[in-house]
Amino acid sequence: MSAASAWQLSQSHRVLIVSLDPAHNLGDIFGVVLNHKKHRFTDSLYLKEVNLQKLCREYLERETRVLTDTYRYLQTINLDHYFSVLKYSPGIEEYALLTSIEETLRFQKDFDYIVFDTPPTGLTLRFLALPRITVTWIDRLVQIRRDILEKRHTIYRIRGILDDKETILSYDEKDDDILKRLKTLKGNYQTLSSRLQGEDCGIVLVYNPDTLSLKESKRLIDGLRDLKLPLRLLINNKIQIKYKAMADHVDSAMQALAPAVPIQRVALSESLLDGQNSTLYDISETILSPFEMK
Amino acid sequence: MISSMVRWVRRIFADFDATHREKAAALTVMEMEELENIFALLLIGSFAGFSSPPTFLAVELLPYMERELQILCKRAKDCNDMLAEMCGTIGID
Repeated sequence: MSAASAWQLSQSHRVLIVSLDPAHNLGDIFGVVLNHKKHRFTDSLYLKEVNLQKLCREYLERETRVLTDTYRYLQTINLDHYFSVLKYSPGIEEYALLTSIEETLRFQKDFDYIVFDTPPTGLTLRFLALPRITVTWIDRLVQIRRDILEKRHTIYRIRGILDDKETILSYDEKDDDILKRLKTLKGNYQTLSSRLQGEDCGIVLVYNPDTLSLKESKRLIDGLRDLKLPLRLLINNKIQIKYKAMADHVDSAMQALAPAVPIQRVALSESLLDGQNSTLYDISETILSPFEMK
Repeated sequence: MISSMVRWVRRIFADFDATHREKAAALTVMEMEELENIFALLLIGSFAGFSSPPTFLAVELLPYMERELQILCKRAKDCNDMLAEMCGTIGID
């Protein structure tokens, strides 16, 4: 669906489609081999597959480098390489995905539309929730850090400097590396959060006309509501004439969950089933742009 | 002779001043170290079974956390007799 909508949008706009799903098939759909870099498919359509493993590796290598620099003296006894174990840290995938979105939004300014093809519900909700969770944690940590600096300042004022060789702990917010890093991180996440919740960002939920998909979509809609993220369009995908009653039932249930959101119906692609070598991204239905509808 | 006497008296007063300043700051120092301990514990609490912030936040701040981690270790070592340490700090024998 994301490939088809990107293709349709690219007929009148400049579009970049980015696949964030670790099980990529964007390249298969367009019949090209994609890598981590942007690939020009037509003058107005560019494709990109995010290499999650590469992103995680780069991020952790960067952090490992900072640690190794801090503990440079360990090089003298050949122990510095033990920090490389950090590259196996869990929980980095969501961060890598979010970083990828943030960097794409920041650097790809030449496009009218950027379409992100996201991974399955669980992972998508986790990484979409990350900015808010992170900002909440950062706020708490900043508060504690400020209390620490206040205590340090008090101690400095009472004791003064007793000895020339004494290490003075930083008590000013401008000198504290941890607080500076926390503030930078908070700024980044707040910007990203407001971009994701903004008017020019919208989430399109694609579901299949069956009960399991309906239940999963309900969870996703609840999750998006909690995160205050804008759901702009529902797509009921792979509808078959013989199961039309089920499709109607699922649509009415979805409409009840998200009353103001329009529903688009897309039939099951015959060419996908009969194995014809046709263009999978070019479907007969016109997918509405949630922004052009406004 | 007189100048060495003056130096000696000056030194006594300076030491007296330093001792009182240290005493006055002792409780605040303990509070600060506890806060630093809590900060480290919150950030890498998963090791002790607490819920922790997103992993990358701990990874981001880890390079700057040397002092906090030292205090965390010190607190872990002294935690069997924290009451004695607090009594010592506030001057109860």
